[in-house]
Amino acid sequence: MIPAFDTAAGWIQETLLLPMLFALGLIQWEDISFGWALFAVYGAAQVLVTFALCVPLERWRPVEHWPDARAVVVDVLYTFISRVGLLPLMTYVLFFRLQVELNGALTDMGYVPPTLERIFPFLFGMPVLTFFLYAVILDFGEYWRHRLSHMFRWWYSLHALHHAQRQMTFWSDDRNHLIDDIIGFAWFTCIALLIGVPPMQFPLLVLLLRLIESLSHANARVSYGWLGERLLVSPRFHRAHHGVTAAGEVSVNYGAVLPWWDMLFRTGDFSREFVKTGDPTAEEALATGGYFTQQWAGAKRMLRDLFGGTPRGAG
Amino acid sequence: MLLRRLNNTPELIDMVAEDRSIAGALTRRRALALGAAAAWLPGVAQAQLAQAQLAQVQAKGAVLIMNSGAASLSVIDMATRRETRRIPVLREPHHWALTPDRKELLIGDSSGNELQVLDPATFAVLRRMPMSNPYHLQFSPNGKHFVVAGLARNQVDIYESAGYKLLKRFPIRSMPSHMDFLPDSSVVFMSLQGTGRIAAIDLRSLEIVWNEECGAAPAGVLVHNGRVLTGNMGGDDVTVMDAKTGKIVRRIRTGKGAHTLFRAPDGKTIWVNNRLDVQSVVVLDAATLDPVRRYRLPGGPDDLEFAPDGKVWFTMRFIHKVAVLDPGSGDFTTIDVGRSPHGIFLNASAAAAVA
Repeated sequence: MIPAFDTAAGWIQETLLLPMLFALGLIQWEDISFGWALFAVYGAAQVLVTFALCVPLERWRPVEHWPDARAVVVDVLYTFISRVGLLPLMTYVLFFRLQVELNGALTDMGYVPPTLERIFPFLFGMPVLTFFLYAVILDFGEYWRHRLSHMFRWWYSLHALHHAQRQMTFWSDDRNHLIDDIIGFAWFTCIALLIGVPPMQFPLLVLLLRLIESLSHANARVSYGWLGERLLVSPRFHRAHHGVTAAGEVSVNYGAVLPWWDMLFRTGDFSREFVKTGDPTAEEALATGGYFTQQWAGAKRMLRDLFGGTPRGAG
Repeated sequence: MLLRRLNNTPELIDMVAEDRSIAGALTRRRALALGAAAAWLPGVAQAQLAQAQLAQVQAKGAVLIMNSGAASLSVIDMATRRETRRIPVLREPHHWALTPDRKELLIGDSSGNELQVLDPATFAVLRRMPMSNPYHLQFSPNGKHFVVAGLARNQVDIYESAGYKLLKRFPIRSMPSHMDFLPDSSVVFMSLQGTGRIAAIDLRSLEIVWNEECGAAPAGVLVHNGRVLTGNMGGDDVTVMDAKTGKIVRRIRTGKGAHTLFRAPDGKTIWVNNRLDVQSVVVLDAATLDPVRRYRLPGGPDDLEFAPDGKVWFTMRFIHKVAVLDPGSGDFTTIDVGRSPHGIFLNASAAAAVA
């Protein structure tokens, strides 16, 4: 499977990107463009695999039926922007540049840039275990970023866009405010730089993790059983986090891939069944507006919380 | 325009290369041509085909490939033309340098900020050495200096070879990419991919003696008969500059995206890889610098090595393979390796390395 994806990225690079860069006088950035091509191909594969798995599940055992599912359409747009388009390019370029500058400067000062493989040399040649350790650390970081985004009122104003969706499906995973995405990227980058995450070393495994995250948002009556739900975040577990009574500044089940952190920090709730989703405090524009309407509504709400104004309802 | 110009060159022989590897033989086009059944040859027939191909191969030794996008090195057995093992590296291996005593092979891991030191005979990992952004690296011909181009950090580092003591860093704009030396080791020439220039650095005074424009996005550099040859990736030519002054004396059109240059072991030809357009490899007559031959090699040919049996081994950046070209017929076979293969090191006497 990996060679097929890599070959597709190579084809995009060879036949589309290089001629375009050549015409624009930007051919010196060919390595960066290949990195983006890989991101885009694996991102598209993520969307396809998620689609192929989640659509049958949602049809087989739906939690909710909606006569009009137009609110889902904008989530599809969020997904493509987040996984295939501009964001992966910015993420790759920015992260790569930061990593090069920071690690190069550390090397110059006589320090060895931190990486898990340098701390634990036995990890060389064990890519799956290495990836697993990186994934566990990053998921721990994600738990705290997510939890903090509920604790700070201004931050939750952005995150409310994610929670406002009353028609939650697997497409909803990437439904985020752009500023929230930028904060998330900065958060991820800091942790990733500290532990030396390689940008594109494990693309297939990243695909797998993103699949679990998308699946956790699916409108499907699916749980992994008593033990499985304590190993991986399931649709049932994550739905409790999106429930109307859990939205706002105090919530449950913050974990993205692993529920371990919720169990460790006592924020896990395994008792809730398949609840209705949405945030009753969120403006209607956040729930059913178009992409730009939602972005504007989220930004206004954040500014109001930061700089005062009419208080909104309890979070 | 370019094709016409090339084809109008009387001496130029246009070799239409053909992929004769098993993978290549089973491309969609070939399958259609032979009928769908051809793609479903029984396993025995495929094995016989592979055996027949292998029987033709006489070369011994091992080839090491730097998979820049897979954080690994592929070891290929030259006799069987199969990858026998992968050696993990930290992040992003691109180029290599053999120490002057030929006892150590240094692999530059640019974003990993380290050199991985291997035994060139066995490819055993000897140690790792922290170093800032080692993209392209070479020892001067007299072995006294070790020069490292830090493409991502816009720096050229000059080290004393003995002990790798940093003598001087040149912060330089921008994207120092490839290098070559004068035969007397007095000057190193560095292509600056981001600014379209070549910088000449005097290794005795550790000063830049000239920094001149050469063309868009220069990549490979080759010093040849008192001239500096550079492949201009943002153009379609190789620039010929006077090594003393940096003045451009000639431009040789080879193909869009001219990239790296390599002199054949007999010194009679210079090989230039082109990244775009016709995806070709153009061979120049080393005496006249005129193009004399072109091979079509799709897949992004990059670095190459000349094998003792006359074959030429190329890394193919965008199809994640190595191509082995027969210069006589223009046919080539391919071998699967890791993502984005770049540097290639061939040691015909390194049979032990494949084990």
